[in-house]
Amino acid sequence: MNRRAAIRNMALIMGSAVVLPSCLHDDKGKAVVELKHLKIDADQEKLVNSLTETILPKTDTPGAAELGINLFVFKMLDDCTSKEQQADFITGLGGFADEAKKQMGKSFADGTDKERTAFVTQMEQHSKDKNYKDNAKSMAFYQMVKGQTIFGYTTSKFFMTKQVVYELVPGRYNAMYPAKKAMA
Amino acid sequence: MANLNIDSIKERTFDAIVIGSGMSGGWAAKEFTGKGLKTLILERGRDVKHLKDYPTTNLYPWEFPHHGAVPDEIQKANPIVNRCYAFGEDAMHFFVKDAEHPYVQEKPFDWIRGYQTGGKSLLWARQTQRWSEFDFEGPARDGFAVDWPIRYADIAPWYSYVEKFAGISGNRDGLAELPDGEFLPAFPLNAVETFFSNHLKKNYKNRHVISARCAHLSKPNQIHLDQGRGQCQERTLCQRGCPFGGYFSANSSTIPWALKTGLCTLRPHSVVESIIYDDKKGKATGVRIIDAQTKEAIEYYAPVIFVNAAALNSNLILLNSTSSRFPNGLGNDSGTLGKYVAFHNYSAGISAEYDGAKEWTTDGRNPAGGGYIPRFRNVYKQETDFLRGYAAGFYAYRGRMQSGDGIGQELKNNLAKKELGDWQVGSHMMGETIPKESNYVTLDKNLKDPWGVPQLKISVDYDDNDEKMKKDYLEQMTEMFTSAGFTNIQTRSDKRAPGLDIHEMGGVRMGKDPKTSMLDKWHRLHACPNVYVTDGASMTSTSCQNPSLTYMAFTARAVDHAVGEMKKGNLA
Repeated sequence: MNRRAAIRNMALIMGSAVVLPSCLHDDKGKAVVELKHLKIDADQEKLVNSLTETILPKTDTPGAAELGINLFVFKMLDDCTSKEQQADFITGLGGFADEAKKQMGKSFADGTDKERTAFVTQMEQHSKDKNYKDNAKSMAFYQMVKGQTIFGYTTSKFFMTKQVVYELVPGRYNAMYPAKKAMA
Repeated sequence: MANLNIDSIKERTFDAIVIGSGMSGGWAAKEFTGKGLKTLILERGRDVKHLKDYPTTNLYPWEFPHHGAVPDEIQKANPIVNRCYAFGEDAMHFFVKDAEHPYVQEKPFDWIRGYQTGGKSLLWARQTQRWSEFDFEGPARDGFAVDWPIRYADIAPWYSYVEKFAGISGNRDGLAELPDGEFLPAFPLNAVETFFSNHLKKNYKNRHVISARCAHLSKPNQIHLDQGRGQCQERTLCQRGCPFGGYFSANSSTIPWALKTGLCTLRPHSVVESIIYDDKKGKATGVRIIDAQTKEAIEYYAPVIFVNAAALNSNLILLNSTSSRFPNGLGNDSGTLGKYVAFHNYSAGISAEYDGAKEWTTDGRNPAGGGYIPRFRNVYKQETDFLRGYAAGFYAYRGRMQSGDGIGQELKNNLAKKELGDWQVGSHMMGETIPKESNYVTLDKNLKDPWGVPQLKISVDYDDNDEKMKKDYLEQMTEMFTSAGFTNIQTRSDKRAPGLDIHEMGGVRMGKDPKTSMLDKWHRLHACPNVYVTDGASMTSTSCQNPSLTYMAFTARAVDHAVGEMKKGNLA
């Protein structure tokens, strides 16, 4: 109900406050997206872009890339998360990339839709497994990206005008409204 | 040269000076100008004009860079104001940032401020209940603070007066503990709020859930249209400033009304350093300001001065207004200035679910926020082991069964699911606190703010009475929720610092006896009667109702008195 509370709750889900050194590879290509705090290279950018598209693919409705959700995810992680969370993000990005490569035999971004979906579906299963140990912070990374993808999507113009309509000016309050009519 | 000087003094002389342009200052200016007096309003912040200066008011969520979230850097730099529920990306430009106006916390105190034309009236939660006879007789009956020098009958006509102009929606509920007013139609209770209201009526004596009374134009009258305001459109984005003038703020109502008379000068960027007291004349003659931008010191003069700087800043100004007659602050013969500060205890809440009323939901949004439970503890007699009592919010809502499970099309379906979840219900506590000498503000001896004014040192804390009252709130609400059949009941008791309620009051209290109070029954300083204090600083006790409506009524009443005194020649 309260957007601010929702954002805060999401922030709580997003990883613990463990500071880890970031391991950056400066020799790789530069990322296109402009960031103030996060330091990522072109490959890492590609991975996050393809991950957001895997979470929210183009179907008969637009996907993450078409809606610019990937850029929003970067902006949110860059501006609205703590240094500690950003360190987890970078570490987990590395862990996620390594695990994907091990399993898929190629980089995550180079995988087919099917391969990427299979890998992310496995992450989803892990996320429900209480015994899963997030050793490489890949789950923390994944949940940060997914959380911001969902937040960006459900507050996007597309979603708020075409899926669940947001009214800036309702002009009414019906205290007793039939539930059937509301969900029609 | 001499003539030039005289002209300059003339230009800086008014019939009345009002310090502060917010909830109460706006009313002072409206009333003075309405009675034909040339009035100067001094506002320490920038000017915020209705409509023109509401940059976010018509933005959709996706039009904000962070869709409403506050960037981490801003949160970290502003731990205090960031704790305020309304400090979001859409309204943070209306809040004072922590570093902008430093103060000393002898004990933790979240001082939430809005420095601009309209002050916090732009940002308030707009809940407007009258205080009752039980509130004004409270200190005398229960033996704390000092007796209020007035009773409900003194203020009742002034409540009516300000309600008609501000526009208050509500029902005439006929409750002695929450007197009825001049109401526009109420925003009705929804299915589950009504269910709980009926449950209390049936099973408890004197416990009610009523439609929260709020300063929204549910159905504007001509006087509201004359202000350029229109019907509330149920946006519930009030903290951004309302393009319809649907809720009462000084910006949309009293200030433009005062300016329209041509008698009012609004001077923004004017930090009041002190009130000038003339020992020979035996009265206050004006106000010394520091221009916030140029840092220049300037003096303004008037035969009557209204202090409406918001509770703690009104304390600060009086404390800093020293003279040989008043070495400890203006009018402070009693030594009570800055003391007996109190607030509202908002540190508890409760939530639950209701497995019923499934055929109903709501449509649109409710600007009143739902229901209000007036105080039911210790109203007619002392009946618990703590003094006074609490009011409570009560609200029920039903959201979609949105879930973030899965990925791909499954996720998209889960997020857009057209299915309603069960009703959720919630309540929050609004407790009266007892003013005590040990809860005080004073001036720091060394630290100054960027304008050279001493920093305020705040030392305010909860006490045992607050803890007992909170325990009772949680017990009573849990019992009422349980007997109503609500499930998954979760109580919340947090350690928030005082101040976050934004209902700080006192320090310049009213009273009958000049030896134990600062202000008389007309809000005049006992010892310097051409200075009136009519904001939260003047409160002898806090009631548990929201205070803004009472500040408005007190201010209109005090201006009426001041103008009467002027006509009699008593303020010349």
